[in-house]
Amino acid sequence: MSFSVDTGEIFGYLGPNGAGKTTTLRVLLGLLSPTSGTAIVLDADLSKDDSMRRRVGVLMENNGLYDRLTARENLEYYARLYEVNRPGNRVTELLDFVGLTERAGDMVGNFSTGMKRKLGIARAILHEPEILFLDEPTSGLDPEAQHMVRELILRLSRVESMTVFLNSHNLDEVQRICSRVAILHQGRIRALDSIQHLTSAGKKTGFSITLADTTQASEAEDLLSSFGGIGEITRNGNVLGMMLVTIHAHEVVTTLVKNGIWVEEARIQKRSLEEIYLDVMRQAEGDVA
Amino acid sequence: MSRIMVVAEKEVRQLIKSRNVMLSALLFVGVFGIFTVPAVLSGMGDTGAMMDTLGFYLVLTLGVFMGYLFTAQVFLREKQSGVIETLLCTPLSLRELWFGKVLGVTIPGAILAYFSAILIMVTGSAFTGQTLVPSLPVLFHIIVVIPAFIAATSGLIGFTQFILGMRENQILNFVIIFGIIFLTTFIRELTGPEFSVTWTVVAAAFGLALLLILVTAWLTRFLSRERIITTLSE
Repeated sequence: MSFSVDTGEIFGYLGPNGAGKTTTLRVLLGLLSPTSGTAIVLDADLSKDDSMRRRVGVLMENNGLYDRLTARENLEYYARLYEVNRPGNRVTELLDFVGLTERAGDMVGNFSTGMKRKLGIARAILHEPEILFLDEPTSGLDPEAQHMVRELILRLSRVESMTVFLNSHNLDEVQRICSRVAILHQGRIRALDSIQHLTSAGKKTGFSITLADTTQASEAEDLLSSFGGIGEITRNGNVLGMMLVTIHAHEVVTTLVKNGIWVEEARIQKRSLEEIYLDVMRQAEGDVA
Repeated sequence: MSRIMVVAEKEVRQLIKSRNVMLSALLFVGVFGIFTVPAVLSGMGDTGAMMDTLGFYLVLTLGVFMGYLFTAQVFLREKQSGVIETLLCTPLSLRELWFGKVLGVTIPGAILAYFSAILIMVTGSAFTGQTLVPSLPVLFHIIVVIPAFIAATSGLIGFTQFILGMRENQILNFVIIFGIIFLTTFIRELTGPEFSVTWTVVAAAFGLALLLILVTAWLTRFLSRERIITTLSE
């Protein structure tokens, strides 16, 4: 397995349960030794240099919080472990950042899963790390809390220029916030590229056209069928779907309009990350078999 | 403030907030501190010797048990909840973590041991109608040697809790409980009618406690992040 993560990017690390995502994370964090090779984070091997841990923030599936301490006490404890300057101010600032100022004095044991996750993120960025490792950050959260956590991650990347390594099997989440992904299967990386490139890759492009007049659908289908460079065409009412093989979308639209067919809407359909992921998994399982 | 003290302070704070644990500890100290006194007192002629005997073995046993009780909260609980994984990602070294936790157990353990000593003294005085005060060697034993034994116990148990898996730790718990019962019986046998607590006895006990601490501190070099992580409950 070999990959690198660029400064300031949100890197998604995808894979099914048991693929080795958390193990990779633990190896990168110097908690486990690799069977061979080295794991370098910020030009250092974390297993050999405790002081480098100051530059790294971590949020594992467990939030690293103590139920019997208050939100403020939890953050203050970690602030002192990381020797944060003016810990009181920093803790206040972060409680505000994650919207928990009013619950600062409450025991964490009484918090909801979403609140614990927010506090966990505050804890992870307390010492202003250069890189943040997140393990399934939205797992077990309701949609609203998931949205809030995603927004927090995006803010950290855009505003604080923090590099984020995101372990997840939530494909929708990864597609929304990551710039690059690696897809893991049984301990091996099967795909590694930018989301942009992965979703638009391939020789075929999905394309759909919505006609203004349903009665022209049959005529439009016949016309497009006579074209070279278009794959199988499907028709559903006034919507025609097709795969563009060697022809561009604008050529299809221009031809239809020139032939007096009214086009209401044309849309290029990119492959979703889910489709790509499933393809990669099928291919990987085929390779293994 | 050093990171050891930061960890110790957090552990003490958390133990104080653990109402069930503190209540169990106080109940244990109260019951044994009060009810053992008349039983021992009735079997001995010299009340001063009685005070010394109780101060030597009962306070020690109670202190060691407190150490055991608190160690489970401080070491094992963190491993069971998984919080330890986050701590292992901080700049805290394993030795700092271990020392901080041992200190965090020793401070409340020693306070409760002192409390049990006072309780024994008050109960003994009330039962005999005389003011019973321990001898100087026993006083030294209570104030210095017993905390050293609490630290040694906590350090050793905490070390094994760190390196063993959850199932092995459950077995270890039974072994420790039986070990403490055996220790109590053994010391009681040792402190028979002929036994008196002298400076030599106290110095030997102190030496044993220090030796245990040193051996355990040396053993911590075999602690590794990997060992702790691979023995976490899934």
